Amino acid sequence: MFTEVKKHIRLILKYFSFNLSALAEYRTSFLVQVFGMALNNASFAFFWWVLFDKLGGGIGGYGFKDVMFLWAVSSTGFGLAHIFFANMNSISGMIMTGELDTYLLQPKNPLINSIAARMSATAWGDLLYGIILMILLNASGMMWLMFSISIFTAALLITSIAVVGHSLTFYFGNMDMVGRTLWEFTITFSIYPETIFKGPVKALIMTALPIGFITHIPLRLVYNFSWGTLILLFGVAGIYALLAFGLFMLGLRRYESGNLIITRM
Amino acid sequence: MGKYLSLAGISVKNALVYRANVTGRIIFYFVFIFVFFSLWRMVYSGNEIAGYNLTQMVWYVCMTELVLFCSGAGIFGVMNHEVKSGAIAYELLRPWNYIYKQFAGTLGNMTFSASVFTLMAIVLGMIFVGPLPGFNAAAIPFIIVSFMLSITMNFFFLMSLGLLAFYFEENSPFYFIYQKLLFVFGMLIPIEFLPLWAQGILRYLPFSLITWGPAKMVVDFSFGYAIQIIPLQVIWCIAAVSLAHFVFSRGVRKLNVHGG
Repeated sequence: MFTEVKKHIRLILKYFSFNLSALAEYRTSFLVQVFGMALNNASFAFFWWVLFDKLGGGIGGYGFKDVMFLWAVSSTGFGLAHIFFANMNSISGMIMTGELDTYLLQPKNPLINSIAARMSATAWGDLLYGIILMILLNASGMMWLMFSISIFTAALLITSIAVVGHSLTFYFGNMDMVGRTLWEFTITFSIYPETIFKGPVKALIMTALPIGFITHIPLRLVYNFSWGTLILLFGVAGIYALLAFGLFMLGLRRYESGNLIITRM
Repeated sequence: MGKYLSLAGISVKNALVYRANVTGRIIFYFVFIFVFFSLWRMVYSGNEIAGYNLTQMVWYVCMTELVLFCSGAGIFGVMNHEVKSGAIAYELLRPWNYIYKQFAGTLGNMTFSASVFTLMAIVLGMIFVGPLPGFNAAAIPFIIVSFMLSITMNFFFLMSLGLLAFYFEENSPFYFIYQKLLFVFGMLIPIEFLPLWAQGILRYLPFSLITWGPAKMVVDFSFGYAIQIIPLQVIWCIAAVSLAHFVFSRGVRKLNVHGG
């Protein structure tokens, strides 16, 4: 078991260094995409700054710094997820076209192998943006501590939710749109204060689609730390990752290979 | 003219064929409006902010999003690809004006999107906050003209940015910056939220005239405002079309295509 885990971590790291050197070949394009994405995220910070300035108070118990913490965690978590597993949104496409065959032939787990095969250049912009934001915020020690922990649980949850959505393609035909929509939901709901969502939406993001655990629970931990909540955060992230893994592996039994011939360069 | 109309017709058919794409955009539109409705509901407590009440603010976001969902934003990517891949060389041999051909080719899709998302905007506005108090039906023709000018202006600006691929290896920064200027100067919040000095400048700039211009006309119409905004939109529209022509005609001289 541990040997398998070690082998797959090595595989992820190999993909990482290979993909990074591929991006570095087109240095200008890479840097433009990184800074473009950071600029993209910064425009929302401007929006929040104007809004808080106009209101002169908080929004649903959140201050400017709190909303920026949500942004920092989601941005860096999203960056991490898409640096290591950028192919997560291509799963449906790979199932539909038969491209998954390539990964089935290799002696590594097909889920890890397929989603780790690509790196997103703009994800580096997201990763950096979150860190820069934390520095500019002059964040407290507790904020930094929760940031350092929750970027990993966030990355795990973002990847798991996308894998769950796309794995449905094994069971119900092309679910590319469902996977992408879930992914969009994940990002959109995690960057706004928890208190603006009420009723069924709030229940949904705290249970079946644990988007609330990406940023909202870490912020709660900043102000009201408890070991129970922290364990719950790790538990939810771990269980959801196992659920995604199980759903994919079970679905794989239903996979029908295509006759697509491709070259991987 | 006939050939451009045929192209527009094909583009409507394409929009109807790729239903999954349309459904995805509808869901995304819904989610975006829902999140902003939730946010503004929390922010407002019966008061007005920068001259907007909750109902106006939710309708405002419905309208600014409507402009962006109908503007054929994909044109930047299309231009970028055609220039960089050299595919544009084939288009130059065909008996039409390349700029207008692209516009006609997207027009059908934009018309289709306009029908779908206008309906969505009205339905969501009604569900979330109800009708706009004091809405004057006489405003509708002005609103339609303003929206058409916004969408056209945005399309040709995006096309010009895409055509910059003739001059720059990497033209996406221009696109990123343009998109963000639209975001912060009218799309997410009305310009009335910004300091007075900034409002004075932004009222005349295309970024605000694309989003804030028509959206404000819907939520707070006055003939005086329409008469002030529409001519400015016409001027910027002419500027955008001229810019696309200029960038294209200068850029095409630089084109070198090797092989096929």
